[in-house]
Parts: sequence; C-alpha cells; structure tokens
Amino acid sequence: MALSGALTLSDLNDFISPSQACIKPIEVAKTSDTAGAIKVDDTGAYYEVSVDGNETKLETATINLNDCLACSGCITSAESVLVTLQSQEELYNVLKQNKAAIEANDASTHRTVVVSISPQTRASFAAKYNQTPLQVAKKLTWFFKNLGVHFVFDTSFSRDLSLLESAREFVDRYKKAVAKGTIKMPSLDGSQSTASNTAATTGDGDMDLDAPQTKAPRKRIVRRGANSDEAAAPVEKESAIPMLASACPGWICYAEKTHGYILPYISDTKSPQQIMGSMVKNHLGSQLGLKPNQIYHVCVMPCYDKKLEASRSDFYSDLYSTRDVDCVITSTEVEKMFTEQGQTDMNVFGEMSLDNGYNSVVKDPVTGQDQALVGSSGNASGGFLEYIMRYAARELFGIAGVDVSRSLGVEVKTVRNSDFREVTLEVPGSDQPLLRFAAAYGFRNIQNLVRKVKTSKSPYHFVEVMACPSGCINGGGQLKQPASVPLKDWILHADQQYKNGVLERSPEENPALAQLYQEWLGGPDTLKARQQLRTQYHAVEQNLGNPLAVKW
Amino acid sequence: MPRLEQLAELQGHEDRVWCAAWHPTKPILATCSGDKTVRIWQATNAQDPTQWQCTGILEGAHKRTIRSVAWSPDGRQLATGSFDATTGIWEKDEDGNGDYECVATLEGHENETKSIAWSKSGALLATCSRDKSVWIWEVEEDNDFECLSVLQEHTQDVKMVAWHPTEELLASASYDDTIKIWRDDDDDWYCSDSLQGHDSTVWAIDFDPSGERIVSASADQTLKIWQRYKPGNPQGIVTPRRGEAVWKCVATVVGHHDRCIYSVSWSHAHGLVASAGADNTIRVFDIQDYDKEILTEEQIKATNEPGTLYQGVVLAATKNAHGTSDINSVAWYPSEEHGDWLASGGDDGFVRIWRIIRD
Repeated sequence: MALSGALTLSDLNDFISPSQACIKPIEVAKTSDTAGAIKVDDTGAYYEVSVDGNETKLETATINLNDCLACSGCITSAESVLVTLQSQEELYNVLKQNKAAIEANDASTHRTVVVSISPQTRASFAAKYNQTPLQVAKKLTWFFKNLGVHFVFDTSFSRDLSLLESAREFVDRYKKAVAKGTIKMPSLDGSQSTASNTAATTGDGDMDLDAPQTKAPRKRIVRRGANSDEAAAPVEKESAIPMLASACPGWICYAEKTHGYILPYISDTKSPQQIMGSMVKNHLGSQLGLKPNQIYHVCVMPCYDKKLEASRSDFYSDLYSTRDVDCVITSTEVEKMFTEQGQTDMNVFGEMSLDNGYNSVVKDPVTGQDQALVGSSGNASGGFLEYIMRYAARELFGIAGVDVSRSLGVEVKTVRNSDFREVTLEVPGSDQPLLRFAAAYGFRNIQNLVRKVKTSKSPYHFVEVMACPSGCINGGGQLKQPASVPLKDWILHADQQYKNGVLERSPEENPALAQLYQEWLGGPDTLKARQQLRTQYHAVEQNLGNPLAVKW
Repeated sequence: MPRLEQLAELQGHEDRVWCAAWHPTKPILATCSGDKTVRIWQATNAQDPTQWQCTGILEGAHKRTIRSVAWSPDGRQLATGSFDATTGIWEKDEDGNGDYECVATLEGHENETKSIAWSKSGALLATCSRDKSVWIWEVEEDNDFECLSVLQEHTQDVKMVAWHPTEELLASASYDDTIKIWRDDDDDWYCSDSLQGHDSTVWAIDFDPSGERIVSASADQTLKIWQRYKPGNPQGIVTPRRGEAVWKCVATVVGHHDRCIYSVSWSHAHGLVASAGADNTIRVFDIQDYDKEILTEEQIKATNEPGTLYQGVVLAATKNAHGTSDINSVAWYPSEEHGDWLASGGDDGFVRIWRIIRD
C-alpha cells in the first residue's frame, strides 16, 4: 500500500487541535514476567531473550486507524496512518482487479465502482481551473468513467436527505424540550413570557456542577474549583438543546476525545457522505441486485478527516464485511490522479452527462438546458443552519419564507470574529427572539461554544459547528491557491464558484426524496430509517495509565 | 558597594516555589508552589520590611503544581496557571470571610500550563502550555472568559508569556529557542515576529518600562536584549513585513551565569535587571549604553543588524541566595514606592525578600 504522495505536499494541519506526537500506548501481551534482554538480528527484527535463553520474536507495534480514534492525542497524526489505508492507490487496485475479473470472466472478484463527489471539491476545481461547477462535474464524470468507474454521483443529493432529517430531528428535540420544561417556547403574539426567551437553562439539572449556582445577592457566579468533566445529571439526547451539527468529522472526533459530556447534544443524523454510503450500498445495491460488498464506494471530499469518518466502526457492516464508504480521497488526491494519468490540463478533458440516480440535476427552466445543477441554498459547509432555521420557523411558528443567506426574516450578525455568526428568528415586526442559532467555525470558537454548553450558558437552540476556519470550502484537502494569491482571496473565489450556476432547490422539493423515504425506508420514522439515516457517538476514555505521560 | 541585602525569609510552602508576583499597587506578594497552593504575604507592619506574615492561602482548585501566578492590573483578581492544564481565576470574598475563592476555571490546554499574564488594560489574559500553544482570552463580565485565539506557531513547549507594558502586544518564550511576538488584526491574532538568537530554551522574558526592549533569559546561560524597530525607523533597519516592526538583538550578557537562567525581571522603578537560575545566584545588572561599537550606515545596511548597543554591568551577585537550590523566580517591586525590593522563590520552598543597596 503506497503512501499517498498528495498528502506529503499539503499541510497536515486540519486546524482542529494542537498537533502532538501520538501517545497511544500499544498493548502487547507480555510473554513472561521476568525481565529478559532484547536482541536485534541483522534483518532488524527484535527478539526478546528470556532468562533461560529462549528467543521470542516481538511483534512490531502497529497503530491502525481504529487505534487512532481511540488515542487521546490529536487527529493530525492519525492522518499519516489513515493514508496507508485510503488513497487513490486503493481505487486503482480495485479497478485493476475489475479488469482482471472481466478478462477471467469471474464475477465474484468484480465490484461495481461508484464515486460520489462533494460540491466543495467541485468548487475547488472550478476555482483553480476556471471552469463552471457543471463543467467540472461533467469532466470528472468523463475522467472517472474512462478509468473504469461505473457511476459518478454528487453528494449534494444525499445532503438533501441529511438536511431534511436534521431539521426533523431538531424540531422533534425542540418540542420534547418544551414538553419537558427545559426551554420555554415563546409566543408569537409578542407577549413576554416570564422566563427568558433564550435556551439557557438555569440549574435545571441538565449540566450540574460541583457547587450550586448562586445568583443573588452577589453578581457573580461562584464555582469552587470548577473543573469537572462529569455532569451530575445525564443529558437526554432526545430533548437536548442546543443541538449541535454532526456533519464535520473533525469536530466529532475532537468532541469524542476531549468533551465526552457534549455528545448527547450532537445531532445523530448522518453526514451527507455517510447517507450517500447507506444509499449506495443498500438502496442502489438492491436496485442493481448487488450485495453491499460487491460495490466499491469512493467519496471525494475537501478534507482528510472524512477518511476517519468513513472508517468508523458504526459505518461498517459485519454482515457483509464492508464499509458504507470504502475509500475517501481528497480534492488534491484527485488532482494527483490527473497527473498520474498523464492528463494535467482540465481544459481539454472531455465531458460526459451526469448519471441518473444520485445526482442533483434538473432541466434548466430558463435555458432549457438538459442538466443544470441544483442544490439547497446555504453556504459551502452544507447549509445546515440555513435549512434547519427555515424548516423550524415554518414548523414551529408557522413563519414561512425565511431565507438566511438573504437575511430575510432573520437577523444575521457576525459576533466577535468572522467565523462566528448568530442568526436570530424574531417575531415578525418586533425584535423579540423566537429561535437563536449560531455558526461556530474553527478551534477557538469551538472552545467557546463547548465551554458555554458545559456550564449551561449557551443561548442557542442550534449551532452549526465546523472544525476549519471558513468552513469546508477551506478544508485541508482542497486544492491550494497559486503562490501569488492570498489565502483569504482564494477562499472567497472558491466560495463564489460553489454556487456558480447552481439553481436553488429546497430539499423538500427534491422529488426523489419522498420516493426514497417511501420505497427504500418504508416511511420517515421507521426502524430502517433510523438505521440508515442516524448514527451514534462514543466518548473516548482517556488512558491515564499511559507510561509516557510524565508527571513533573 | 552595591549589594542585595536580605530583608526577610518567608517560610510556609511545602514544596518548591515556582513564581513570585507583587500586587500592582500594594506591598503584597503572591507566591505559588508545587504544593498546589498560592500564599499571600504582607508586611506585618508597614514600616518594617523585615517582618512578613502569610495572610491567605489559595487552595483546593488545582490538582497539581501551580506553576505561575499573576495579579490582574486592578489588583482585584489573581490568575493561577497549573500543571493540571487549567488556569484558575480567584477573587477575595470581601462580603464573606475574606478568603480567596476560585471564581472561574479556564480549560482547553492539552497539558501543563506554564505561564499566564494579564494585559495592561486587564481586558485580556494570555496562557501558554507544554502543548506548544498560546491562548488569548478576553475577560468578560460575570467572570466569564472568552477564547479569542489559539496560537500554534511554536514548535515546542511554551515557557512564558508577557504583555507589553502599554500596548496589546504579547511576547512568548519557548523551548524551541525562539521568542515570538503576537499582535491582533481585528479578526484574529497572528505572529508578528519570531526572535531567533538564543542557542537553547528561552525560559523567561520581560519588557522594559518603555516597551521598546525585551530582555530574555535562556538555558544557554545568557541574557539577551532585543530592541523594536518600527517601519521607517531612522536607523535603517529593514522591516520586511508590511506594517510590522522587527525586533533585533542589541546586547548579549554572557559570562556571568554558568547555568540555565530561569527568571528575569526588568524594574519599572529604576531600570535594573535581575536574573537568577540554576547556578543559585541572583544577579542585578545595570543596562548601560555600549559605545565601543558604533556601526556606520553602510554596515547596518549590509547586515541589517543594529550592532551591540548595550552592555549589562553587574551591580550585585548574591551566591547561594537559596542555598544550594535553583532559583525559579525573581520579581522587582512594580512601582517606585518600594522599587528597591526584589522577591525571589526557589526550589528550597522559601521566598526571600531582598533590597538592592546602591551606595
């Protein structure tokens, strides 16, 4: 398994945490309790020589991807490990194996190859090669099909499902929280409710601390030695407000390792990548008469953390010994593939029309063009805040026509820095808040968010959390700007390309969605829907017995 | 003949004393220790500086050594940086029993916090850690602290952070042998300059009263003085980054300490520099102009270095100031009122108060 060359060219820092050497203690079974000597032979293999002279060959300590997820260190060093497991080399191997299978007429070793491309990757290529996103989509389709890939899809399609499911989850949680009394639902007629209109709970038992919170007569809240990771009362996921977005694996890994108490707040809807995984292996598979392990699913993503997400055990099927997403490659790795195939000028690529199935295309009503890209409105990090706000405004308060990107019906404010925004839905005609959402990108803002949630001081109902400053458009695996262009300008350029020529369509208007819910899942609230569209999180225990942790 | 005279020896800590910090306006000293506490010391009677008593103990909040302690500029709060990776904020419970209480805990560092510092305005707090990062927090009402920035440009353990005496400009010293200067540009903080020159870990830094010079103490047994050159400076030093000043080494004090220097303090009262470290000696230097090497304009242009502008003249050297123990911290009294007082803390668990006598 070759190391992906693309990774060595790019910066390994995915912004999520200070990088640190991997401190995972390897558990190796000791063969004896008595101390022996270590001998190294001339091939470099290590042997333990016990007191009676017997030599036992020692296993080389290895760390695989799942070990990395368990390590209480950082994410960035995990990337150097996952690279050996997921790269374009793997895709080449599968395609080669397919060719051999066809020649040998052996269906058992043949796999149908599906590539799902993210809209952020599309925007990145559009920005660098001066194409429109539609041209990029058609050219990437041409490129991959020429290699032997069978289907090329767009994760904007699965994102519609992720958005709709997240919005339904939010409204459900909100209603349960109101019923439980942990938040008060403000009324539209403008009458002041006696409790605060924000989601901040005061000592309701959601997050209890070591000392009681005293308010009067002193102005300050006094907490003696407030430094505990354990919540006194467990938080119920079904009604936990604020709900925090789940699509960013960098955020999820960080939360699991360092802030286990916050996991119940995170939405359990799968990300667009993983919903595509479920659809490709389960729905497409059944439509084509293929078992999940007869499909090889590759996703092209803007960052490396998506590789970690794909390899989570929650997304692995024991029954078929296969993952929902077999391999994630980044935008830069695809660019490397161009070079490896001897095709460096995207301008001379051919174009192929986009596949039916999991692509978001419509006939353009204005130009009559057969395949025009469509997608949900919303920024380049998926638009979760946007859509959930619009959906919740309608479902909870009957307010229609809310459009966050155009500041219609909501007040949008940049707080503190450009990576932290607040979006507030107000009673029409007044400034009384009904829903308070926020978007927090980047490590420093995540710190502040997590701290506020931990002390029950967060005023928000929903927060879109992304690990990378400026969001997914600036992911660690996106194409790099030319040396002369400042990063800020480049991000802006790629961001503009993200929506270039893409028609807006709300997820509910996607005709395929209703069909999928009905035919594939049997309804939105069925057990199958839950299995295919939702996931779970696992707090990682800190290994305090680490012999490498030095106490001064 | 100038010398340091010991005024008092303060006993009480049960483990090594890591840091001593004077209250900004009153003759009160806070010291922190491996015994996980901070002790507050005051002169028993204002006229007699030889009698001190411990008037308060801050305990119970940290699970490990408290490595650094600092008073807020208004003297109403104390910050403590601990090896348990947290920073505690303490206030005196005036309405109640007069004890200090921990009113907030700043979490986020991955491992041992090494140093904390309040900006001059009291609006910002900087913390640094073995996790190689420097964090900048904004003080908000209600004892809430908001993380403004997480700066990760050092490649090793960050030993100390220090704010400019008047501007919102931060300096940090690290095991990676550099000192970095940090500024903010509305949206985020960034590294404005990286000062290289020391051959080993930079343990401590301090600004001079004007803020135009920094003195640094290093494991390479030298002190260095760095001077700021703003864009368009009359000496002709080139400032390559638009709008950013550069800091150049203008003096190296070498040949005095023969072990690591752990702490350095530049007095705001009389401008003397005190340093101490693993050679168990406290030294007091007078920073004087060095006129033996005046570079010509061409020479400055050729090397883009201002040359040596200062020399450190030893005024006093007190050997075995803490017996055979390392000295971890020296701190001059911050104002002219008792500007001749110097506090020191060492591995012997004692705190000593000295007076510089310059006949």
